[in-house]
Amino acid sequence: MPTTTASAVCTTVGNNILLRLTSGERDVKLKALRELKNQIIGNRTKKLSFLKLGAVPAVAGILSDAVSAVDVADNDENDRIVKDIIVQSAAVLGSFACGFEAGVRAVLDAGADILIQRGCLVEEMPLLKSYMEVVDAGARSLKMIYQSKMAPKYDFLQEENMEFLLSLLNNESENVSGLGASIISHSCKTSLEQKLLFDAGVLKRLTSLLGGSLIQRDASLESIATIFKNNPEVVSQFVGPDTGRTLSCIIEIVKDRFARTRLLASLCLIVIRNASPCYLQDVGIKTKLINNLLELLDDPGRVGDEASFAFSSLIAEKEDMQKLAFEVNGVDKLYNHLQKGSLHPRRFEGILLALADMCSKLECCRSRCLSLQVLKLVVDALAHDSSDVRSAACMCLRSVSRSIKFIQNLSAGSFMNETIVIPLVRLLDDTSTAVQVAALGAISNIVVDFTTRRSTFIRLGGVKLLVQLSKSMDSTIRLNALRALRNLIFLAEDKCKEEIFMELTASLLASLICDPEPSVQEQALALVRNLVDGRINSVEYIFAEDGIILDAVGRQLRIASKAEIEIQGMYVLGNVATGKESHKEAVMDQLLLRAENKAQSCIIKFLQSNDSRLRTAAVWAVLNLTCSSSPGSSGRLVKLHDAGIVSHVKNMVNDPCLDVKLRVKTALEQFNSFDDSLILCIFSPAASNNKASTSCLQFLTVRAVGELSHVVDPSSKEEESIANYFRFSMKKNKKKKSTRTVKFCFDVPADSL
Amino acid sequence: MSKKVITREEWEKKLNDVKIRKEDMNKLVMNFLVTEGYVDAAEKFRMESGTEPDIDLATITDRMAVKKAVQCGNVEDAIEKVNDLNPEILDTNPQLFFHLQQQRLIELIRNGKVEEALEFAQEELAPRGEENQSFLEELERTVALLAFEDVSNCPVGDLLDISQRLKTASEVNAAILTSQSHEKDPKLPSLLKMLLWAQNQLDEKAAYPRINDLATATLEDPAI
Repeated sequence: MPTTTASAVCTTVGNNILLRLTSGERDVKLKALRELKNQIIGNRTKKLSFLKLGAVPAVAGILSDAVSAVDVADNDENDRIVKDIIVQSAAVLGSFACGFEAGVRAVLDAGADILIQRGCLVEEMPLLKSYMEVVDAGARSLKMIYQSKMAPKYDFLQEENMEFLLSLLNNESENVSGLGASIISHSCKTSLEQKLLFDAGVLKRLTSLLGGSLIQRDASLESIATIFKNNPEVVSQFVGPDTGRTLSCIIEIVKDRFARTRLLASLCLIVIRNASPCYLQDVGIKTKLINNLLELLDDPGRVGDEASFAFSSLIAEKEDMQKLAFEVNGVDKLYNHLQKGSLHPRRFEGILLALADMCSKLECCRSRCLSLQVLKLVVDALAHDSSDVRSAACMCLRSVSRSIKFIQNLSAGSFMNETIVIPLVRLLDDTSTAVQVAALGAISNIVVDFTTRRSTFIRLGGVKLLVQLSKSMDSTIRLNALRALRNLIFLAEDKCKEEIFMELTASLLASLICDPEPSVQEQALALVRNLVDGRINSVEYIFAEDGIILDAVGRQLRIASKAEIEIQGMYVLGNVATGKESHKEAVMDQLLLRAENKAQSCIIKFLQSNDSRLRTAAVWAVLNLTCSSSPGSSGRLVKLHDAGIVSHVKNMVNDPCLDVKLRVKTALEQFNSFDDSLILCIFSPAASNNKASTSCLQFLTVRAVGELSHVVDPSSKEEESIANYFRFSMKKNKKKKSTRTVKFCFDVPADSL
Repeated sequence: MSKKVITREEWEKKLNDVKIRKEDMNKLVMNFLVTEGYVDAAEKFRMESGTEPDIDLATITDRMAVKKAVQCGNVEDAIEKVNDLNPEILDTNPQLFFHLQQQRLIELIRNGKVEEALEFAQEELAPRGEENQSFLEELERTVALLAFEDVSNCPVGDLLDISQRLKTASEVNAAILTSQSHEKDPKLPSLLKMLLWAQNQLDEKAAYPRINDLATATLEDPAI
């Protein structure tokens, strides 16, 4: 087989070279080094095979020896060879580290980075012209190492390291200053480091490099962007006479003739823009950036690939930018690139993500996508080899599916349904977690409506898969699976709910409500809320298996601290409270059950919450519990009153939130409607000494007077005043004429009324 | 449509009113010489006109050596020279590297070293083809040369042309220029293109003395 011959040849040649590397003669060593260098540059396969033969430590050893043998003062022939050896071995090591992870690892393991730094970039060397070659070679190699993800972390906090970095930046040589910039671009990660670099004044030098050669410009742009990224503090300190200059300099560079430079300049501006609300906000610069990036998409190489990611970072979450981009036909332009076919995976991913961002908030963009039939290409991408592309396609689908047109269109014809639902369901089983999460996101939107898509999804076994995923070890997957289930159950038909509940089971739901992750708890509660919403039989679900779900809900409400969880939980109880009497009583039990160390029911805390949504939810529950058409409502009202809940509601009559205010108004009307009936009941002056009527009067007195609650001795003179009071209250309430009949049925003898 | 007619006299008068600086023209010439790699000419021009080249003439020599090596078919030598000049170029330019290797293969085939060619294709080029679809296609085209008896008349015969060497040489030249932060194309062709475009635009509106032959740049009277 030819392959074995080829690799055998390779190994022979390789071994030969390595053998000569160990020679005592410098000439032979040098020649072998050059040969090795020429074998591996550009050739990944060769790098790998030489790596396996142990080339890296061997060369590192040679470099080490040569560095110790160098005598800076000396300038004879011998020294020239030593210098050449240093140059060549540095070049070899740099090449091993170039875009080749195993190589970087080997180089770092051999300590070559330190060797090169010490050997090529020590103080005296850059000053000597004859050593420029050595310095350059060293700088180039170190740059390669620092461009790798595995590069050693450069410790900016150490003063001597900072000094060394500054000396690199200030060096005249392109390669050396480029190394400095490269170190910043790849090692500066934290905001503390960003601040340190900013305070050390590197920006001044970097700005001057902007006017240098192409390489210096590009390197400088990357570094500037790194220093400002996500750091509003540093950006805000970026004031003074220098700012305007640097910014306008970069803005000019956006029009540079080289595509990569234009991209880097745009990225730099985007970073500054995103970190600070006061720079680069005028329409002119916004349009310029958008147009520039859309144009850069035309570049066939890596620049074009990366342009779409830059575009995303420019418009993500920003409706105004998305609108501007739409106005310059952004959607069409992106679509045109998508259409080209056989795209490099990175480019494909970028364009899909860009479309996802474009369609995230604006209906016009989604609508345009649908007219252009973007979905067909997106659905194809769901089956792409690259997981990043699959993930991006899901996100695109998720954005576009927010469109009204999508919901309307696709109800016609199951063809479109299945072409979308089938691949998505398949992705729920994807090897990549990120893809699963993205697919769940898309499914969440797609199953929310009532078209055949929902039933198609169920028919394809989607529910089973979702339930499976809700048990995942990964909390993000659990979260998103629950969200999808929640949407699936939203306003679903009884049969559908039943199917889903059977698959989920009460015990799983209860445990998810008590999940360690708060966000998962929230989704689980929201799911239950949707589950019990609707017809009265739906409420029964919460009582399954001895009511473990309801217990779980109550428990969470008592211990929760996150508003979102409390809101969902209250709505669950509120929904359950629309059910039968037994349902309402169960809710009462939950509410009035006190948590440890808590003097009052959790609902009081909610009624006092700063979050209006929570106050609304709480008042809804109270409303439903005390609705006048239910026989047990007044009894519940009593208990609520005793728990101090009613007075809290009454205090909210002027709540700043309109939603809350309206609910409270209704609630108060409901409370008062009970009062009305009571007054009607006892208005006729109590005449008899009948024991039953006496106690009845006592009871009613307490109820009707409400806040004044005290037991009145009917035999005392107070009776007269009470009666007057009631007359007075009656007059007051006359305005709100209650048409409801008495709900209380006492054993009241006829004559006492 | 009646076009405005501009006579030669009017035109020449207008032309005379436009001022061009000598320094600018010198720079253009120097830029051309430097980018194309005419070192001696550039050196002489610098001495005679006092125009400074925008890159170090020494680097031009190195670059020209590489270009020449490729043009003569000594690809291995060219690769060594490029790596001496700047080891990053071929490491970061997979397309260029592939084309150079491809050229090596072509030279082996041209010299009738069939076995060596096959070995080379297997060892050096096949792995590149695995990494990249378009490389694979080009590789297949190149290896196809071995399948034909009469190479000069086969469908892939163009690979054996000198033009293929020149193409590769040009690619290397451009890569080196870019790595030196220099533009890979001289300015002069762009200027001429601009001239032709402007004339085409003006043709729609007027009849005027045109330059039809760029080499002589003589004005030809407008057709009346």
